[in-house]
Amino acid sequence: MTRKARLLVAVLCALVSAPAIAVVIMHIPAFGRHPLPYGDAINHTAGAQRHVTNMVSAVNFDYRAFDTLGEELMLVAAVTGTLVLLRGRRGESLSDRAAQAGNRPVCERSEAVTLACRFFLPLITTFGIYVILHAQLTPGGGFQGGAIVASGTLLLYLGESYRLWRRLVRSRLLDMLEAAGALVLVLCGLGPMARGGAFLQNVLQLGQTGALLSGGLILVENAGVALAVTAGFILLLLEFLEETRATCEGEGP
Amino acid sequence: MTALLVLMFVLVAGTGAGVVLAREPRRQALAIAVNGVALSLLFVVLRAPDVAYSEIAVGTALVPLMFLAVLVSLRTDRPKS
Repeated sequence: MTRKARLLVAVLCALVSAPAIAVVIMHIPAFGRHPLPYGDAINHTAGAQRHVTNMVSAVNFDYRAFDTLGEELMLVAAVTGTLVLLRGRRGESLSDRAAQAGNRPVCERSEAVTLACRFFLPLITTFGIYVILHAQLTPGGGFQGGAIVASGTLLLYLGESYRLWRRLVRSRLLDMLEAAGALVLVLCGLGPMARGGAFLQNVLQLGQTGALLSGGLILVENAGVALAVTAGFILLLLEFLEETRATCEGEGP
Repeated sequence: MTALLVLMFVLVAGTGAGVVLAREPRRQALAIAVNGVALSLLFVVLRAPDVAYSEIAVGTALVPLMFLAVLVSLRTDRPKS
């Protein structure tokens, strides 16, 4: 298709969809308005009902925990699919360094980089764990904290060496942690049923509002999500970085 | 709408345009990271810190890194004809 024809198609599409877009824009609620009552209702009742101060976690891990279970299984399925596709080719052997672009020379890492990484790695990991543990109190939770911890491990590769990162990242252990996270969530659903409750019903002690151990089952589900997300993201990073590494001597493609 | 919000919207639009205008894939991956930082700042200003956390961990660290990892293994610099 020539440039002119493409332009013509683009203009035609814009002309056709413009009225529809205009109608939608006219009916958007004013900035900052939220006409639906659900959020206000949760803000009003969740604190008293579930003894938590972070309403987002109350929705994610309690009122709509069923959705979270679905999302979690989706994440596990996606990670598993990636692993099945990529790991089959690379095998399980360790490699010393990640791939490099083209014919670029390998630079020594400067001491400043190493220092910065050694300084920030403990900080970022601690912060990630804090975000995970305070899911029911402050913004954040298992997903956010897990993603922070997982991407923080890359500072090992950046500051020390790929070999060290690769040595510490044990895919077998991570496989199990990932599955364990999903299992925790499923058990959280089935557990209350064994006691005669509903699927995913919050049957645990709710504790005192504002305490680290409060919110009952929210805590357990959050821990499951944190496990699955941390392990899943590290596994994804591992597979992607391994996929691009240079093949070692005497090893098949 | 406060001036801070307007500033954030401009920042997001600007860095977003940067992603589109950067034609070199490796630069584009880094531009996505910059756009992610701008977006997470916007989410903080809009008082959605949960989303800001996710954006900064996934949009700023993981996604650009995966793009970079893939770009390394692809030959993106074609011979000039």
